[in-house]
Amino acid sequence: MKRILLIGLLLLASPAADAHEIGTTQVRLTLHGDHTWSAAITTAPQALVNKLEVEARLPRSSDLGDAALRARLGELSTVLARHVEVAFDGSPSPVSIAIARLELPSDVTLPAFVVLLANGPMPPEAHAVTWRYDLAYATYSLEFAAGETGSPSSVWLEGDEASPAFPVSGDIKPPTRVAIIGQYLSLGFLHIVPHGLDHILFVLGLFLLTTKLRPILVQVTSFTIAHSVTLGLTMYGIVAVSASIVEPLIALSVAYVAIENITTSRLTPWRPAVVFAFGLLHGMGFADALKELHLPREAFVPALISFNLGIELAQLAVIAAAFLAVAAWHREKSWYRPRFVVPGSAAIAATGLFWTAQRIAGF
Amino acid sequence: MAGVRLATLMHRAAATLAAAALLAAGVVGAGILATGDAQAHDFWIEPSTFRPLPGATVTVGLRAGQNFVGDPVPRSARAIGQFVVRQGGGDEAIVGSENIDPAGFFRADGQSTAVIAYRSLPTYIELPADKLEEYLRLEGLERIIELRSARGASAKPGRERFSRYAKALLTGERTSAAAIQPIGFTYEIVPDEDPTVGLSLFRGHVLHGGKPLAGALVVAMPHSDPSVRLAMRSDANGAFAFTLPQSGVWLIKSVHMVAAAPFSDVDGIGLWGSLFSIADWASLWASLTFESPENSPSTNAKGPR
Repeated sequence: MKRILLIGLLLLASPAADAHEIGTTQVRLTLHGDHTWSAAITTAPQALVNKLEVEARLPRSSDLGDAALRARLGELSTVLARHVEVAFDGSPSPVSIAIARLELPSDVTLPAFVVLLANGPMPPEAHAVTWRYDLAYATYSLEFAAGETGSPSSVWLEGDEASPAFPVSGDIKPPTRVAIIGQYLSLGFLHIVPHGLDHILFVLGLFLLTTKLRPILVQVTSFTIAHSVTLGLTMYGIVAVSASIVEPLIALSVAYVAIENITTSRLTPWRPAVVFAFGLLHGMGFADALKELHLPREAFVPALISFNLGIELAQLAVIAAAFLAVAAWHREKSWYRPRFVVPGSAAIAATGLFWTAQRIAGF
Repeated sequence: MAGVRLATLMHRAAATLAAAALLAAGVVGAGILATGDAQAHDFWIEPSTFRPLPGATVTVGLRAGQNFVGDPVPRSARAIGQFVVRQGGGDEAIVGSENIDPAGFFRADGQSTAVIAYRSLPTYIELPADKLEEYLRLEGLERIIELRSARGASAKPGRERFSRYAKALLTGERTSAAAIQPIGFTYEIVPDEDPTVGLSLFRGHVLHGGKPLAGALVVAMPHSDPSVRLAMRSDANGAFAFTLPQSGVWLIKSVHMVAAAPFSDVDGIGLWGSLFSIADWASLWASLTFESPENSPSTNAKGPR
């Protein structure tokens, strides 16, 4: 059954990648032990020449042969060098470029390509290096290697996008797992308190149902399991539901739990199931926020778990604050429900309904 | 007979006036459409030749770029929705090798005008708000900027699905009705007359969902000179016209954008696909490439520079 569900979810997942078309350009950037760098840029020769011709306001050539292409690229080499930027700690390095290889196969079904070799000096005290090449229109891959034998790392770059900073030497260390966990724990907490007012009101709605511990625990557990499931599935791309559906339903969930608080003070048999269903929606909302934070690839799972844990801590903090502020002192009072729970729930319900209408209109 | 002559003269005069007006519009458009890297690129078909001899092998390059200069886009099966050549009265699939540029090849009929048609599957992309607005302005989609503003989403990243609808016309020994018939794309540029025979005035329609689309920005660019850039908006009937100031290979393109609502298949993603897509918008990129012959009446016209 689980397998069928997983296959179903995979079928429903959006197949599209988050990118432009992938082109044929490839770059390998290597740092050498003699304080120099080199970059091999493999790209389509005629397109490259045409781009440079446009910039230099020269007539656009077409179908150039080997000698003519080499000559044209030679003429335009200074223009070409301006489009390659290798920066150490933010300072661009001088660049020189030469043609390493040019292939123009006579078989028209095979691709033509040129390999350009760019190189320059690397400051001895450099800490980090970035790459930028703004003559690619399609997405291309950059492979970076610190030293000829170092294990390379690869990134996809969009057109003229600058690469992330790569460490040049051992003194720039990537953040440790502990640091990443701490960072995402904090981000998860902050996503709820103070930024997630709709989630805060939903959790308050769960709390206001009753002052008994067990019903609160059942609801919070149900909500936690559900949003953890969809947070993970959405982050892995297995589930994708439009924000135009998720966001109004999250607002509606806020209204629902509050309205039910007005009609009953008991944990109805369907309440945990409804809270679970709403939890699935909230998880997708959390994932939307987490995506904007760009999870580190090397610590995806710890970051995801710690973000979720941060959310849990924030939920518990909201409940604890509500308990300590009012319920701890007044829950046994006769006025607690008519003067606190019902008006409070009504205000939450009205807010949830307003958000629902606003979000439907907004989408 | 005199009536026919008068009608012909009036038609020519009207065409000349239209051409002058459109050229003026083109000059204005060229001024408005300052190019920059808007992080959203045109997409078109570049065959190995626009004038294949009967029986010749034609390779089909897909290009993504700007100013009619593009990077090769290798064949990707997961991106292709439709990739065919319409020639000799039928459609045949264009074959090719995965991850290779050129994306495909076929044997040309060469007898009559052939149509190469490529449709991509929708691809999701997110753009920062400023980059999105930049490209929306460049493509004449100010209406979407206003809609985003009305939704309070101006500062949010643009979440869209983009789809490509590219066509190329290959000159044959005679013209063909296929050149002026819609392929059936969701968004499509359809010429009113076969431009491969040489026309003083290129007239066409933009169709969205098979119906004429009014107010769409249509841009024409010659391959040989990126400084020439003609632009106009389609009229109430989806019609547009350009006087092509020079012969050679031309790109005519237009971009349309619609809201990507759930249960609304606006770009071929399917109803279920639309439900599970997180995109707020669907952009539709239509292009048409062809070669206007040397002996075209347009060769003598002077165009904007």
